[in-house]
Amino acid sequence: MLDKSLTEFLEQGLAIHMGTRNAHMEPNGCRVAAVRVEEQGQHLVAYVPKAATAEVLDDLQNNGQAAVSLARPSDDRAVQVKGQFLALRDADASEEAFVMAQWRGLLGQLDAIGLAGTAATSTWSVWPCVAVTIRVTQIFSQTPGPEAGSVI
Amino acid sequence: MSLQLDQLTPCFQGIVPAMLFTCSKDGTPNAAFLSHVDYVDASHVALSFQFFNKSRRNIVENPRALVRVIDPDTHQGYKLRLTFDRSETSGPNFERMHLRIEAIASYCGLKGIFKLKAADIYKVDSIELVPEETGVKERWSPRGRRRAEDPVFTMKALQELSTRINASECLDNLFDSILSGLKEYFGFSHAMILLTGEKPNTLVTIASKGYPAGGVGSEVQFGEGVIGVVAEAQQPIRISGLIRGILHAYAAKRRAEDRGWRPQEAVPLPGLKNPASQLGVPLVVGNELVGVICIESETPYRFHEEDKTTIGLLGSYLAVAIQNMQKKEAEHPAPLQKLVPVPPPPSAASQAPSNGRRELTFYRGEEVVMLDGEYLIRSLPARILWKVLQTHKEHGRAEFTNRELRLDKSLNLPEFKDNLETRLLLLRRRLDEKSPDIRIVPRGRGRFALELASEIQLTEKG
Repeated sequence: MLDKSLTEFLEQGLAIHMGTRNAHMEPNGCRVAAVRVEEQGQHLVAYVPKAATAEVLDDLQNNGQAAVSLARPSDDRAVQVKGQFLALRDADASEEAFVMAQWRGLLGQLDAIGLAGTAATSTWSVWPCVAVTIRVTQIFSQTPGPEAGSVI
Repeated sequence: MSLQLDQLTPCFQGIVPAMLFTCSKDGTPNAAFLSHVDYVDASHVALSFQFFNKSRRNIVENPRALVRVIDPDTHQGYKLRLTFDRSETSGPNFERMHLRIEAIASYCGLKGIFKLKAADIYKVDSIELVPEETGVKERWSPRGRRRAEDPVFTMKALQELSTRINASECLDNLFDSILSGLKEYFGFSHAMILLTGEKPNTLVTIASKGYPAGGVGSEVQFGEGVIGVVAEAQQPIRISGLIRGILHAYAAKRRAEDRGWRPQEAVPLPGLKNPASQLGVPLVVGNELVGVICIESETPYRFHEEDKTTIGLLGSYLAVAIQNMQKKEAEHPAPLQKLVPVPPPPSAASQAPSNGRRELTFYRGEEVVMLDGEYLIRSLPARILWKVLQTHKEHGRAEFTNRELRLDKSLNLPEFKDNLETRLLLLRRRLDEKSPDIRIVPRGRGRFALELASEIQLTEKG
């Protein structure tokens, strides 16, 4: 379960990717613009840009397995959430501000470490998004180092 | 136009972290940031294997992977579908990745904990554009190769630098010509030249440009920091996105410390406090390392893949130029008219202590001279300075010749390649930086003078 402290970390605006796999055990992956923790930390909603690869959404609906990696560029603290796909819907307009605030949070961090996040991503598609809800099954530390991969 | 791997080489500079997607045998996906992706050949890439993490375990079970990379020039995202081929723990692919990781690890005091276990080689099955990460329009030359927007290492710049270097009359002038030429023709404002020191496996800074503190006389051990690793491996190292690499290493360091690991003392990197990219070039003639030139930039992506060959050429040329000048000065000291004594800097008198006295202490065991309790210089330059100061004090003599130093057994000069002129230059520059009231001034063909604007007190300790 994602507790309050972890929720605050995850929702601050991180570099987020979702990994899936198809029936041939080939991995797929896409960028995620933002996440929201729901249901007392049991669910994670990942906002995937609509422009992102359709393969990920197909995989989710076919086998339901998902891995979401979330990393803070300023110190490389990172977490991976594994889960089971529950639902997929178009994100509505009321969620745009929430998503874009997290996205800007990420860009601010990238700017701060010299990666020119704001300028570099000006041509990227972030919104509109689809909201993918997964049930959290496992949480791992992914901060680089000998403890990477340990269960949180 | 189908995408070719060699068009993506800027993606492999480590500026923007890559993302690795794998899947276990039972179908559980995994997504993880990846430290390094490197270009191997037109159909293979190498991924860094540093820790036995879930991605690595998945690859053992299921060799298929997906890597997403971003072009730092255009910001276009690409996804590479890969199949694991082999692991390499030696050879050029491993060495190239190892050097970069080793340099960052050394900088962070993380040698031994942040290291490359293997370069995992993957066959690239396909390359696709990432639809949500659309970049700015690609720049291609008519040949279909990338055209750098702002080329740095041009033949014109090399030619102009070469012309300036060829006009140098002495070592002193040569080092200044190299550094000013790098700034003027290449746009590199921050650079330093280190030469091999008297102590084995040590480099000593002989000249620098663009730093508040010149740092002449500062030492770097082989294997320490980017410069030391360049010297040890005798291979150039380009590090773009240095800040990213260091952040990654520090994250690993914090986790290791949590487990009780204690770091070695970090070696302070000479130069910029937070360089975004660095280039270390070994200066090698034949198999002999003459020194290392280190160029730094606050721009994250200053040294491009396309520059690799020219960088190697530049290093070879500078090495030959320095070695030739060292030989020339030893065999034929510069003519009198070229060694016009430099007038004392206006601040020389004002930089003397208020009581007009300097205390110099020579620690014979350590071969170190301290000035008013602070480190001044060590090894042969220290022995020379002490000899000159003592002679001046005992006999009142102020002029000296290189020849008499060479014949003086007490100085213990190496019989072969003593590099006396270089050591004298080092001493002169160090004194100029640290105490302009004590000067070593060239006086013509193989001669120099000691000029004192302060009263000096000499103490020798064992």
